[in-house]
Amino acid sequence: MTLIEIVNLLVSALLLAGIYAVMSVGMTVIYGVMKIVNLAHAGFMMMGAYLALELFERLHIDPILAALIVFPVMFAIGRAIHWLLVRWLPTSDQPTLASLLLMFGLWLVLQNLGYLIWGNSDRSIFTPHTLSILRFGGITISSVRLVVFGAAVACMVALQLILNHTWFGRSVRALIQNRYAGQIVGVDDKKTASITFGLGIGFAGLAGALLASLYSFNPDFGRPFLIRAFVIIVLGGLESVSGVAIGAFVLAFVETFGILFVPAGYQLAISYGLLVMVLIFLPGGMASLTAKVRRLA
Amino acid sequence: MQPTRRVGRGMVFAVCAALTISFFTACSRTKNASNDSIPIGVVLPITGREAKPGQYQREGIELAIKQINQSGGILVKDLDKKLPIREVFYDDSSDQAKSASFAERAMSSDKVVAVVGAYSTALGEAESVMPDRYQVPWITTGAAASTIFNHGYQFAFGTLSPTNLLGSTTAEYLGSLVDQGKLSKGLKLALALENTDHGVDYGNGIKEWIRQHPGYFVVVFSENFDLGSPDFSGLLQKVKSANADIFLADAHLQDFITMHRQYLQNGMHHQMISYGARGPESDARKALGDGVDHIFAGIWWSRSLPYPQVKKFNEDYKAFTGHEPDSWYPATAYDAMRALATAIQNAGTLNKTAIRDALRQVQLNDSLLPGQVLKFQPNGQINTPFVIVQNKPGGKVDIVFPKDAATGESIAPTPKH
Amino acid sequence: MRVSQRTLSIRGLVQWRRFALLSILLAGLAMMPWLVSSPNVIRLLFLTFLWVTTSVAWNILGGFAGQISFGFAVFYGIGAYTTALAMNAGLNPFLAFLISSVTAAAASLIVGLPTFRLRGPYFAIATIGISEAVRVVMTNLSFTGGASGYRIVEHRPFLQLEHYYTALVLASIAVASSILISRTKFGLGLNAIRQDEDAAAGLGVNPYAYKLEAHALAAALTGMVGGVFARYAAFIHPQGVFGFQTSVHILLMPVIGGIATVWGPVLGGVVFGIVEEQIIASFPEIHLLIYGALLILIILVEPGGILGAFRRLYRRLHARRRDKTSNPGGGEADEIFWRPRRG
Repeated sequence: MTLIEIVNLLVSALLLAGIYAVMSVGMTVIYGVMKIVNLAHAGFMMMGAYLALELFERLHIDPILAALIVFPVMFAIGRAIHWLLVRWLPTSDQPTLASLLLMFGLWLVLQNLGYLIWGNSDRSIFTPHTLSILRFGGITISSVRLVVFGAAVACMVALQLILNHTWFGRSVRALIQNRYAGQIVGVDDKKTASITFGLGIGFAGLAGALLASLYSFNPDFGRPFLIRAFVIIVLGGLESVSGVAIGAFVLAFVETFGILFVPAGYQLAISYGLLVMVLIFLPGGMASLTAKVRRLA
Repeated sequence: MQPTRRVGRGMVFAVCAALTISFFTACSRTKNASNDSIPIGVVLPITGREAKPGQYQREGIELAIKQINQSGGILVKDLDKKLPIREVFYDDSSDQAKSASFAERAMSSDKVVAVVGAYSTALGEAESVMPDRYQVPWITTGAAASTIFNHGYQFAFGTLSPTNLLGSTTAEYLGSLVDQGKLSKGLKLALALENTDHGVDYGNGIKEWIRQHPGYFVVVFSENFDLGSPDFSGLLQKVKSANADIFLADAHLQDFITMHRQYLQNGMHHQMISYGARGPESDARKALGDGVDHIFAGIWWSRSLPYPQVKKFNEDYKAFTGHEPDSWYPATAYDAMRALATAIQNAGTLNKTAIRDALRQVQLNDSLLPGQVLKFQPNGQINTPFVIVQNKPGGKVDIVFPKDAATGESIAPTPKH
Repeated sequence: MRVSQRTLSIRGLVQWRRFALLSILLAGLAMMPWLVSSPNVIRLLFLTFLWVTTSVAWNILGGFAGQISFGFAVFYGIGAYTTALAMNAGLNPFLAFLISSVTAAAASLIVGLPTFRLRGPYFAIATIGISEAVRVVMTNLSFTGGASGYRIVEHRPFLQLEHYYTALVLASIAVASSILISRTKFGLGLNAIRQDEDAAAGLGVNPYAYKLEAHALAAALTGMVGGVFARYAAFIHPQGVFGFQTSVHILLMPVIGGIATVWGPVLGGVVFGIVEEQIIASFPEIHLLIYGALLILIILVEPGGILGAFRRLYRRLHARRRDKTSNPGGGEADEIFWRPRRG
């Protein structure tokens, strides 16, 4: 293995990490505030992808720009679904199976709506840029991947800024830290939950739209990504944006370099296996690992 | 708590009983059998991953049925009259379990005299246990893996030549390019095979040819991939590291599109590239544009074959469906139906074993397929040669091999973008 | 669960009646092949029995013990492949089914030992990961044919009725064990775990051991179903028997029928068997829409599923005649769905 190849792998792992991060962040936000494991995340990603496709095919909007339109649309859909279904779930500071199964039912419904509306053959978005590549010496980078990475990073930064510098962000952080204390100091938890849910779904849609310019998709789109998102948010300690970034890097690197040691067919098993290992051995995420190491030292 | 529970159970029994009764009334109804037509089961995927090819094959079958019925139907000597064909159609939605159970349903309950269909090796494998179980002839129009035909089944037939022949024809074609001096000797091959019997057969065909013709090529990479994966980046990463000169994959339509897109995005290039039996489909050009240029494919049939019956078929098909035949899909289905009709006429009866015996003897001399003769081998499969086609810039698809059927020259090696 | 002297005699009477009812039902099903000769109906009944068995089996762990698993395809698939391998090695099919159930139970221990340290939703998510990982491994395993699947070659004529009765007996065994569990100390222990794992541990129930036992029993039944199905289909492949879809179906049936009850899962299995065949034949793609919508309704409106809805309906009709207060239905389901889990 040459140095150039290793650099190539590093670059592609980094680009992958950006995609993974934006894909998982919506799930983290919802989990953090509402303690709901959003199994329908994959369904919303699929919707985002198809919305981007429609925007591209009907209005000829570049899929990256389309992602910016998809976000508010999905945000609105998310709030509508919160109003329609999710708000009936009792609030709890621990995840319940009711919320898990509700979101699972929602996923099935979304998936089948996808089949009814768009049929189930694989679709993909093809623009003049789709196949263009940038070369730096021996390193090749797909330009779409680079743009998607940039967009993903920008979105993560924007979210972090919102969480740190707005009243809404402060309410969110308060609810993540302690729901009851938050309510006592006057956080409107219902409204915050609704906006958070919208935000989570918006990010799912955004991620879907970004992924649509990289992968083919069909209404079943997203199950492998859903499982990866689980791995990432558990690795990241379940409720912080920076945790998600770390988790995404770990998974992307493990997957990219893991493939050198196992047959390609087993690639998916890496993330599935990692999920189980992480849940069992690192339920507190990477943070608990460093804490453990520090305690041992 | 106890009283309500007890009553609950009583009610459940009542409901179970009611449901069971409705269930029988619903499903003892079979598609109505009658004596004035010949029922033939057609099981194909019209929805699901294989929807497109399944649809094309259904069109091929229905075109044949329409033409046969327009000419008055099939003469059945036993009944002393001409009977039209009645199609009993099931969409298996690309699901193997459903495919098998619909084939079973057609054979056991709809009393069909034969079942035609089963596109894709996976679905065909699932169906292939049924024909012998119910002693009903079955012709697969889209499954070619050897595992279906080497179990000694007595009622299974297929109108696709074996996949290992595809592999060896592919290698033979590349060899001919070496002989012409277009490619140099000793080139390195990278193989990516779908992890099904189809992929195994394809790989074996290539490796067998290389063994028999030492010095032409070396295989430096051979790995399997998962059908229906949304992402082949890991596999392609390894192909790239293998530094091969020629990339040969064996993939289904959707996987071919997904994989080739990532191939191009990775900035990869090989002297020759093929995705087995996929390549000239219009869907691929729609999804990848000029990216599909220069891909070559070994296929069971091409609409450019220079036979008069092919020309007529192309016209009839266009008139029937409103679009051109896409790749090879409708032809094998069309010929399967015609072979079956000929066999029924030769048998002179609707007895299934007699039809099976007639199928073993049948010979279609105006077949659309390469070589123009369709005849089942003792194992039930046909053995017509493959044609190699190559996508040319501008959307043209030329037959480039064998020489006697060629409509254009091979472009080899493929130019760098 | 308290049994006073007076209700004991009534219960005895009612139990006798219930027993009679069950026997009639069983006899009716056993006679069915003589009443309807259509092979298609027999096939549908055969599949329905298999679905009922898996549904009842899942309910032992998911309902009685409240541990929702998305991973039962693992046991179904292992059972199917074990039977296939054993039969191709020349073993008697019924012996193969037994081996299947033992293998599946063993696999359940391997899955359960680490994952039962997790609670509630975390356990559920871990089972998704395990089930998908097993599927990926099986699609790539070459000695079972990989993604191509595996063929069972049986050198004797196909007797549909043999399959039918095997499935009927299997379903009866499953329902009988479910009834037995609901009446024994083991069942009470599982109930206690469902209601509050920590409190159960305080009462002397070892939740870990109980969950493992329930899991093993459920897996053994599911594995046997996989084997029986494999023999009938004569061709199995990982995307089918190990597919996520299979896990989802196995989970949906008991939830729709009525989780944590004896008869709810049976009802769910019957409904599923019919819906699956009849609706799929005409609308192959919307069946999951129906199940998804049902699932949402069940969670938000009637956690007791179809059975719970019937109970509620009955009580409403009943309450009008006899003004008597009774417990709200679906109590078991409420405990599973709504109780927060400590991770």
